Order: sequence, then C-alpha cells, then structure tokens
Amino acid sequence: MSRRRIGRIVGRSIVVGGLALFVAVTVAPLLWLVISSLMEQQALTAKPPDFSAGSFTLANYAGVFAAAAQLGQGFANSFLVALFTTAVAIAVGAPAAYALARLAIPGANTILLMILGTQMLPGIVIAIPLFIVMSHLGLVDTRLALIIVYLSFNLPIVIWILRGFFLAIPPGIERAAAVDGATTAQIFRLIVLPISLSPLFATGVFAFIESWNEFFFALILTRQSARTAPLVISQFAGQYQTVFGQMMAAAALAIAPVVALAILFRNMIMKGFAEGMVKG
Amino acid sequence: MAEVELRAVSKSFGKVAVCKSLDLQVADGEFVTLLGPSGCGKTTTLNLIAGLEDASAGDILIGGRRVNDLTPFERDVAMVFQNYALYPHMTVAENIGFTLRLRRVSREAMRQRVAAVAESLELGPVLDRVPAQLSGGQQQRVALGRAIIREPQVFLFDEPFSNLDAGLRIKMRAEVKELHQRLRVTSIFVTHDQEEALSLSDRIAVMREGRIEQFGTPEEIYARPLSKYVARFIGSPPIEFLPGEIAREGGDLVFRMGALSTALAPAVAGGLADPSPSLELGVRPEHVILGSHGVPVTVRLVQPMGPATLVTVAWQGGTLIARVPGMAAFKPDERVHVSIAPEHVMLFDAVSGRRLAIPG
Repeated sequence: MSRRRIGRIVGRSIVVGGLALFVAVTVAPLLWLVISSLMEQQALTAKPPDFSAGSFTLANYAGVFAAAAQLGQGFANSFLVALFTTAVAIAVGAPAAYALARLAIPGANTILLMILGTQMLPGIVIAIPLFIVMSHLGLVDTRLALIIVYLSFNLPIVIWILRGFFLAIPPGIERAAAVDGATTAQIFRLIVLPISLSPLFATGVFAFIESWNEFFFALILTRQSARTAPLVISQFAGQYQTVFGQMMAAAALAIAPVVALAILFRNMIMKGFAEGMVKG
Repeated sequence: MAEVELRAVSKSFGKVAVCKSLDLQVADGEFVTLLGPSGCGKTTTLNLIAGLEDASAGDILIGGRRVNDLTPFERDVAMVFQNYALYPHMTVAENIGFTLRLRRVSREAMRQRVAAVAESLELGPVLDRVPAQLSGGQQQRVALGRAIIREPQVFLFDEPFSNLDAGLRIKMRAEVKELHQRLRVTSIFVTHDQEEALSLSDRIAVMREGRIEQFGTPEEIYARPLSKYVARFIGSPPIEFLPGEIAREGGDLVFRMGALSTALAPAVAGGLADPSPSLELGVRPEHVILGSHGVPVTVRLVQPMGPATLVTVAWQGGTLIARVPGMAAFKPDERVHVSIAPEHVMLFDAVSGRRLAIPG
C-alpha cells in the first residue's frame, strides 16, 4: 500500500470518527429521552436502571394523554406562535435581507451590525423590562406577546442568513432582469424569491424550531392560557415528585413535529443551506 | 436605430478609477468591439452604457439623447451576459418572453412573438425546457433571443462566448455576425479574444487601464497599431520587437539590428525625430522571411499549423518566429537565412511605446 493511500485512509478515518462522535453526542440524549419515556418510574430511577423487558410500558404516554387537554392547549399555542413568528420573520426578513444585500443603502453596514447587536444581550437582562412593557400593553399571557418577542430574536437571524443567500445569487440574473425592464420590487418578487425557495424554506424551518423550543420567555410572559408545550412539559416536574416517565413522554411528543419536519424536508433544507455556500 | 456616444465618461469605485475620461462614438448600425485584457475597464464601460452602473462623470448619449439618468430599460438597450444569466426557474419561452410579460403584452401576442424569435434561433423544440436542461449553445441562443425580442436600439454583449468550447464559439460568432447583418442594430461587444474582435467588428476599440488606446477598423488595428501595446495585443503568435538603431548604408536609411538590417521606407525615415530616441522594430511572424538571403540562422522548432507553419529560429540569444505559408519543409538545426519584409516595418519608441511614423 502506498504512503498516499495510507494517508487517505487515515484522513478518512479521522473524519468518519469525528462525525460518529458528533452524532453520538447529539443523538444519545434523544435516545435516552425515548427510552426513559417508555420505562416505568421505578425501573428508571433504580440504580442501575432496570432494563429488563418488564420495565417497558406505554403507561407514560397514556398518562400524558390523560392530561391531554392541558398538553393539547400547549401544543396548539406553540404551533400557532411558531407558525406566525416564522411567517412574519420570513415575510419581513426576506425583503430586508435583499435590500441589505443588493441596494445601495446608506449605512447598511451599521444597520447590519445593529441587527446583530440585538443578539448580544442575554435574555435575562431584558426579561424584566419586557415583562413590564407587556404588562402595560395588557399582553401578558397572550400568544401575541410571544410572537412579538420571538420575532425580536428570530428576525435578525433570518435577515443575516437570507442576506448571505441573496449575496450568493449571481448578480447577472438580476441585471438581466433590470435590462428586461423589471423594477427592483419585480426583480425581488419574480426572480429572486422563486429561485430562493430552498433557502427560504430552510431558514423558515430554523425559525420555526427556534420558536417551538423556546422556554425562558414563555415562562416569564405566560401564565395559563398562552402556555406553550415546553412549559406544560416542565410541569411534570412537580414540587414533591418528578414524573420522569411522563415528562419524557411529553418531551418526545414535543420534539416529534420538529424531527418530522427535518426528516420530511431533509433534502430541501440541505439544498437550502448548501446553496448559500456555493459562490455564484 | 441609434448611435452611441460617450463624452469624457469616467467611473471610479471608491478610489479606483476604472474608466478614465472615455470618448467613443459608435455610428448607427455599427458593430464595435471593446477589446482588452481583464481589468482594463471594458465590461464597466458596457455596464455604463447599459445603465447598470452610474457614470462618475461625463455624458452618455444614445440616439442623441443624454441617458445618464435613465434606467437600463428606458435606454432601450438589450444585453447578453457572460454567463447567459438566464432565469433558472423559467422555461425557455418564459425567459424570452419575460420582458413582454413585464410590459403586459397580451398572452397571445407574446406567444406569437416568442415563437417567431425561437424559430429564428432554432429554439422551437426546447421552448418548454428550463435552462438547466439545455446545452451551452442553446443557453447562449436563449440569451440572444431574450435580447432580440426587445427590438432594442442597441445590443450590448459582455463576453458572451467565454463559456463555450472552441468549436461552438466559432459557430456562435458566425450566428451573431449573421444576426447583425440581418437586423443592423447598433452593437457593442466586449471581449478579450482578439480573433473574435477581428472577425466580428466594423471597428475595434482597444482598451488599456481605463482608456481607449486605439479605435479603428480591424485592418487599421492590425496593420497600423499606434502603440506597442496594441501591436502586441493583436496577432498570434504575437509581434516581435527587435531593438536596434537607424543607420545609413550606401545612401539608404536602414534599421540595423546587429547583423541584420532592413531598409526603411522614405515615409518612415521622414517621420523620425532628431536626435532619434531608442528604437525598436516591430515585425509580425508573417513578415519574417526565411530564404536564401539575409542573415544565417539556425532553425530551432518547426510547428506545422495546416495552412501555415511556424518556424522558430535562434536570434541574438533569443528566438524569432516566422510564419511560412503551407506545410513548409524546414527541419530543426537546419541553417537558413532570415530577412524582414521592409514594406511592413513598424518602428516604435522603446521608451514611450508609441509608433513613430506611418509607412506607405
């Protein structure tokens, strides 16, 4: 075997090994989540956990569904909030990103940095002011409050990601459209948007997941009617007892839509993110 | 139909001046090529005419009207881009008809005009395909179709053939020339390919560092270049520059390059400044004569090209290339005599690079 061949095999092994480690670290908690959602509390909390066949049960899921009214409400809230947040983030973010990518806007770089700057503040710093503002507006414990807050951190990310995609579009296409007589708005609507469906979708999925998973602001800004799925799940950890199995079952149900979304549109998401990385 | 005129047009990007006070007049129906190496400002000049860039100074006129403040569309120009720039999500028919769609032309009228243009470009059978399903030549034709359907006052071409293979390039070149002869629309074509420029153009503007070095017919540019830069840019293999000096041999003025000297036409001699600056003689390979008289040299390399043969001979520590008609029977290491056709001699100021005088 030649030296080069050995080198290639070693290099490949390092890459494969690294990826395997990454996958293991990422997947292990999920796997544990699913396993523990299927185990009886006693078997789960035993040391070491009792993995015998008798320990597995669907009772946790049955328990979760028994509390379905609450959980259903949480899921519905999460879904509506995530959907609206995503829709508005894309609808507002895409034109903003295009403008910042292509139009000669005075101070565009400053604007971009300011948008990024909003991401620098830890949530805890703005939590209390935010609560006060929302309470003055009478928005505490409403889905609208969550949508507004989630937009404030989703929109900057959406703008930054989409701007990267739009910059990667070969400008010749837009120039051709300009020569053909299209206005900037027409170029955006008829040329740029249709060829950016994959990136738009990938970014949308990203924004959706961000909103779906959010816990902290939901905890602060909601009480009862607007509570989202993560909050409902957390309630399985009570003051005197944590119902691990049910909590895990609810969590498994909560990540299911996101995982399904990712698997279903895997190709489109991959294509979307890959497109932004290829120079036009 | 329109003439295009640039009056002292300049363009800077930040501190970088890309076009420096350009003057250019393109007559109605004329085919003009902007020729130069990459970075000489030729594409920027085209973009200025198209309205895709704003001029920093100067006036751009199309059909006698100042168009500096008009959009590309209002200037009534059509442009063919380097990478075709087809709309990837639209079919061929939609690509060609996009401009009509923007102008709210009726569906039926649009269909007819697209069909007519597609017919003339042999795109009829692929009208329903998207660009990714087309060959390079077909994509290029769609780009042409998109320009033709506009019936514009001016066609602008930005290195349209640079992505095509050599064979297709020659074919598309012929198609563009045929198109121009048929439509007689004023055309400005940007390329760095001298062959393309020579074969297509009524006139060629050779550009250098944001200025037009020379503007003339292909014949003028090739046979009477105003500078070493222009002379070197056109012709393959390129022109050779041989240093030497003016001398008098038996009453005649000659240019002496070591052992070799060549007679100077009276017009050349008459144009010489006195005292003469340091000079170089420019000679193209087809004017280097290998035969029985002249200076003896040794053949180094023989490259038969078909209609001609390139013969490289050793010359004063370097080499000199002669283009000999036909499949000439020279062999490496053969001794031959080299001379230079006096009627094609060009003298250049070695320092400024300008040509000194115009013979004939």
